[in-house]
Parts: sequence; structure tokens; C-alpha cells
Amino acid sequence: MIEGKLVDLVPFEDDFAIHMETWMNEEAWFRARLWERREPHTEDDVKKFIEKMEKSERGALIGFQSKDGDPIGGVIFDHEWQRVRKADAMFFAGDTRYEGTDEHLDGLLMLLRYCFETRNLHRLDASALAFDEVRIDLLRRAGFVHEGTLRQHIRYDGDYVDVEMFGILAEDWPGYEQKVAALDLQPSGIEPKPKPEKKDDKETEAGEAKS
Amino acid sequence: MTTLHGLLVDLEPFVPAFHQEKMHAYWNNESRLWATMGDCEPTTRAQIARIHEERSGARERGYTGVHFMMRARDGNIIGSIGLNWVDYWNRTAWLGAWIGEKDYWGGGHGTDALLLTVDYAFRWLDMRRLCLGTMDINERAQRNVEKAGFRFETRERKAALVNGRWIDALNYGLLRDDWPGREALVDQLGLREKAERRYGKGD
Ligand SMILES: CC(C)(COP(=O)(O)OP(=O)(O)OC[C@H]1O[C@@H](n2cnc3c(N)ncnc32)[C@H](O)[C@@H]1OP(=O)(O)O)[C@@H](O)C(=O)NCCC(=O)NCCS
Repeated sequence: MIEGKLVDLVPFEDDFAIHMETWMNEEAWFRARLWERREPHTEDDVKKFIEKMEKSERGALIGFQSKDGDPIGGVIFDHEWQRVRKADAMFFAGDTRYEGTDEHLDGLLMLLRYCFETRNLHRLDASALAFDEVRIDLLRRAGFVHEGTLRQHIRYDGDYVDVEMFGILAEDWPGYEQKVAALDLQPSGIEPKPKPEKKDDKETEAGEAKS
Repeated sequence: MTTLHGLLVDLEPFVPAFHQEKMHAYWNNESRLWATMGDCEPTTRAQIARIHEERSGARERGYTGVHFMMRARDGNIIGSIGLNWVDYWNRTAWLGAWIGEKDYWGGGHGTDALLLTVDYAFRWLDMRRLCLGTMDINERAQRNVEKAGFRFETRERKAALVNGRWIDALNYGLLRDDWPGREALVDQLGLREKAERRYGKGD
């Protein structure tokens, strides 16, 4: 666990893996992963995604949870480019009640903290659909700089929409402690949700009926 | 027919000689640095062979890129051009070009090849937007893509490292709706005259 002000980073497993079956079918997911096809994600798809990120040598999926252990969502760094020390940064509040809260922001800050202060990256890239004001606001508050617009880059609900591109450099990052102090993060007071029911292992065989 | 005929170049399927000889040369000369945003690691034949082998299996693993070998009008193989990532869902693709022979830079071959590739991507792959990235210091590439109608869209600060210096990366975009068509650009850019000056009158 890496402890932050409002959230902690934890391995993406157990309850996170169960929640992910819902999260990966939420609007919030597709706004974070904006280039993805709009298709239903089955249990198997979700498992494969988590597994792929687990095995990745150029990225990771990390869970973030509130101080009372309520799983909120995930942060991802991906396509890490060793020579240039840069990567793509992604984050999502799977539990949409946290969308735009300071916990959501702190999840992103913790990703930056890990990437810059532990992983020694030099630069992170992030993107947002032009109309996704919540995400754009979070990116800006975290210190990302707007670097341009990819015109009509992404298919979205019958249209092709612009994508706002952001970047943050290690030299833009004052350090987690300073950043958190400057932002004066406040907990949202959202009630932790009930723990999800543990899955029965035998149940996975039902997947065969799919075809 | 998978060869695209231009005025200064033809875009063709790769031949074994490209991977066996040309690639080794290009990966070890100055062009490598421009094409890879600053990489210049000396690369052995064995490494090249491995890279080639890995790439040949990429399609089975879901790789969607389409690449052509570039052959100049004089018959020489001079490089490659293609779509590094074709996103059929968003109908967007990323383009990349690499002329490995310095003698052929700045003579219009890249423009000719780019127009052919853009035309192919719009008309055969049904793309509606194309993207292309280059470095702040690669003015030749910038001029090349701007001539073809691409518009500057983003500047990624310090996204490349070249000989110890941080360099900005630039991204360009071209929408199909803004594309006047290959013929119109061939005329506008005087490519026929350019080809004639270099290679004489021909077919
Ligand atoms: C980039 C590349 C594909 C362009 O192809 P090319 O045949 O050299 O380009 P063209 O001659 O069609 O167009 C280049 C234009 O830039 C101009 N130019 C050439 N050198 C230049 C320089 N140093 N500064 C500014 N402009 C320059 C040329 O005069 C020409 O413009 P013009 O037609 O108005 O005279 C080729 O140079 C190349 O492969 N270079 C090495 C690898 C690389 O850079 N790949 C691209 C990475 S994004």
C-alpha cells in the first residue's frame, strides 16, 4: 500500500477485480479509455484485461481506495518508453459516486507521485474527450498542461469528437506533499459501499455456455 | 494490385533484400535518429533479423499496420512508408515515413509517397482522419506533411531525447473532408515537373 492524503494505492485484486466487472461497463470507463470500442465487457474480458496489465512490462493497473478501504477505481500508467522515460497516464473512478471528488483527484495525484517520485519518469501524457469537463478539470488541477487538440479523433455516440491532449513534466511536479498542501484536499464523506459477494470458483465453468 | 504508382516513387510490397540489406543500413545511419525521435543504438544484422521476424508475426497478434516499400523512379529502394496503427473503430490511422537514403531527401519523394499513402488510407481503408507525429527539429518532415495538407495540432513538450537534448514532439492531423484529393495536390505542388527534372520525361 502507498498511503496518500485521501486515498491509498493498493494492488488491483480481490474486491477490485469483482467491482471491475461493473466498472468496465460504466460510462466512466469509456471516458477514461476513450479510444476503446463501445462493446459490452464480459467477465472474461475483464479478467483478461487485469491479467494483461499484471503481466505488462511497460505499464500497470493499480487500485485506489478511500481511507476507510472503499474501492474507488484504478490508475494506470502504460506504454512506458524506457529511453525517454515517458508513459501514458490514465485514471478512472469506477464507483461513479466519486466522480470529480477530491478522492478522484488524489487518485491521479498518487499516480503522478508514483511515476515521478518512485518510477523516475520524466513525462506523462493524458487525454480527455473535449466535452469531459470533469476529467479536464482534474487534469488541470493535478498540474497537467494543455498541449493541443486532436480534431474529431474519437467516435462518440454518433459523432466524432475532439480530444484534448495534456502533458506533465517531472519539472512541473512540485512533489506530492507540496501539491496536496496547495490543493487543500477535503474528503467527500461518501459512505463506503457494501463489500461485494465473493465469487464461487466453480462458477467460471458456466462461461463455456457462452458460445 | 498492391503497388501504388506515383511520379517519383512506387510503393510496393517489401522484398527480402529490404530486410536483409537496407534495414541494416537505415538502422545504422543518420536517418534512424530522425525516424525514431533520437534513437541511434548501433544495431547488428542478427538484431535486425530478430526484429523482422517478430514483426512478421505481428498481424496474428492483432497488429493492424500496413506498410509499403518505397522504390524511386531510378529503380533504387529508398525506404518505407505506412500506417503504423490503423484504428478501424475510430477510422483514424497514424502514418510514418522513413527514407533511409540521404541522397533522396528534400527532392519530393517523401511528398509523392505521402500523397499515395493518404489517398490509399482514405479510399481503401475508409479512414476519415490521419495523424502524424514528428520532432520540433525535423523541419523537413514538417514541411513535407504541411504541403500534403496536414495541420499542426499538438506540441508535446520534451517528449523526445536527441543527443542529450529534450525536444518537443509535434502532432499533425488531416481530415478526409479537408483533403482536396491526390491529383489536385500533385498539380498544386508541381510534382510532375519535379519528377521530370530529376528523372527526365517518362511514362
Ligand atoms: C521526412 C521525409 C519522409 C520527407 O521526405 P522528402 O522526400 O525528404 O520530403 P520532400 O522533399 O517531399 O519535402 C520536404 C520539404 O522540406 C524542405 N526541406 C528540406 N530540408 C529542409 C530543412 N532542413 N529545413 C526546412 N525545410 C527543408 C524541402 O525543400 C521540401 O520542401 P519543398 O518541396 O517546398 O522544397 C524524409 O526526409 C525522411 O525519411 N527523412 C528521414 C527520416 C524521417 O525524418 N522520417 C520522418 C519522421 S516523422
